[in-house]
Amino acid sequence: MSYIRFENLSKNYGQKEVLKDINLEIEKGTLVTLLGPSGCGKSTLLRCLAGLETVSSGKIFLDGKDITDISPRDRGIGMVFQQYSLFPNMTVEQNIAFGLKIKKTDKNIIQEKVNDIINIVGLKEQAKQYPSQLSGGQQQRAALARAIVTEPKVLLLDEPLSAIDALLRHSLQIEIRRIQQELGITAIFVTHDQDEAMVMSDVIHLMYQGHMEQSGRPTELYTKPATKFVASFIGHYNLLDAPVMKKICGADIASESIAFRPELIQVSTEPVEDPDSYMIPGEIAFSLPHGNILRYAVMCGDTQVDVDALFGTEAPYCIGDRIYLSIRKDDCIYL
Amino acid sequence: MKKHRAGSGIILLLILVWLLIPLIVTIIYSLFQNWTGIIPRGFSLKAYAEIFSDPAFLSALGRTILICIIPILITILLVLLALFVTGLFFPGLERVVQIICMIPYTIQGVILSVSILSMYVANKTFLGNRLVMLTGAYCIIILPYIYQGIRNGMRAVNMPVLIEAAETLGASRIYAYFRIIVPNIISSVIVSSLLAVGIIFGDYVLVRNLDGSAFQNIQIYLYQAMKSDSMKSSAVFVVIMAVTFAISAVVLWIQGHQGKHSEKTAK
Repeated sequence: MSYIRFENLSKNYGQKEVLKDINLEIEKGTLVTLLGPSGCGKSTLLRCLAGLETVSSGKIFLDGKDITDISPRDRGIGMVFQQYSLFPNMTVEQNIAFGLKIKKTDKNIIQEKVNDIINIVGLKEQAKQYPSQLSGGQQQRAALARAIVTEPKVLLLDEPLSAIDALLRHSLQIEIRRIQQELGITAIFVTHDQDEAMVMSDVIHLMYQGHMEQSGRPTELYTKPATKFVASFIGHYNLLDAPVMKKICGADIASESIAFRPELIQVSTEPVEDPDSYMIPGEIAFSLPHGNILRYAVMCGDTQVDVDALFGTEAPYCIGDRIYLSIRKDDCIYL
Repeated sequence: MKKHRAGSGIILLLILVWLLIPLIVTIIYSLFQNWTGIIPRGFSLKAYAEIFSDPAFLSALGRTILICIIPILITILLVLLALFVTGLFFPGLERVVQIICMIPYTIQGVILSVSILSMYVANKTFLGNRLVMLTGAYCIIILPYIYQGIRNGMRAVNMPVLIEAAETLGASRIYAYFRIIVPNIISSVIVSSLLAVGIIFGDYVLVRNLDGSAFQNIQIYLYQAMKSDSMKSSAVFVVIMAVTFAISAVVLWIQGHQGKHSEKTAK
């Protein structure tokens, strides 16, 4: 029995269908990511679960209870927003205590819980400060503390890290994951950043144009994309249609198109004959360093193929070098 | 750079003198009996003694303060509620509210009072009460100032998101509004209500037309004093000024005190 269940959920804004017949089940204690490009409906789905948007049709169950028509304040849901949304007139401590006060919790218990959570998120020194005195990362940690101190049934995170700079974002990803696992919280995380989704999630649900495109563990989505969209959105796949493939290497493929990952391509200066591989001649157009990876753009006729090589292991190729790419047929995905 | 600063200092001083001259002259005028030569003679506190021992003056002052507070509180509450509803439920209607709130700018006091009289004077319910009419008229007069002030404050606050955040924490929307949004715009509320105090304190037309001599406010008292004794009227004028200053000072002190308090706890 799943903990959260969306049943045939649809949402329209006038004529526009934002969510199309969503069916989704989420297990207790897991961190699940709704991933997708902006406008795919992932935030709307989250807001429907929080009760901040009404649904057009369908049902939402939480812990076996139909919550479709319950007001947000009675759903037992904690939420962290993209814009932090801390209350500016209250200190960190007061912000965190707000939800407990509303629930008329005993004063001593409030103080105890607030202190505990402040220690967990590492804001002990900032407890008496106002949100305007905190950095973006500290504000978001305070917002996280405020959302989880009431022990919600589920924690919703709506692109909480997209306004934070890259370095801090990375450490907060790990921190959120740590806190989620430590406290055994069921969490739904919305993001448009596939790397973030990969790092944090137990399960990723990839959304596209209002429906679920593919669901699975991060590695599953990465290695076995089910559709062209998934392949293009995750892992920077090279996606070639059959006629193009025929043109650049003479190979006939049975499916409509073929996808292969840049890091699985072998590069050599001499042609390699291997019946188990596709061999594509090409010319280096340019190269871009991506941290520890050097990404080559190789022009094979009119088609660009991206190739990743580990930086520094071999002498890099120069622009204009004529090279041969070989891709093992087993590494290719036929879509 | 230094020259520049000296220049701006002189300009500031000139403006200060320019603004203070009428006040200083009035104060001097209220304190001296003989005002024919260059140097006034005959210092006396007689005028002040007279007005402060006049129960009519004290009650006029009390009435003015009272008739000031009630319309301001009513209007602030109305504007806050209107902005709550438009901000959360009908964002499209905000422009309509704005237009409605701006209309009183264009209405002259005489026209407003005559219109209110002709509409409600025959009314047998509480609306026909002169004081209720006056309160209503003041609410209308100060509406644009209060509305504009509060709305400007509201722009700095991301209301829908903050209210949503409070809602997910279990608060009702209206509770969240008064507990979170309003405290954040309190300084705009205070500034606009001080403006409204000034307007109501200076009113003569509305109170004269709507209540005649029945509700003698400070302006009417001043008008009558001017007819009899110019020294006394100067003294009344000085007292009015002192009271409005005192009100502003108290309100701003409370506000500043709160600010300091929160800053202190922050450190």
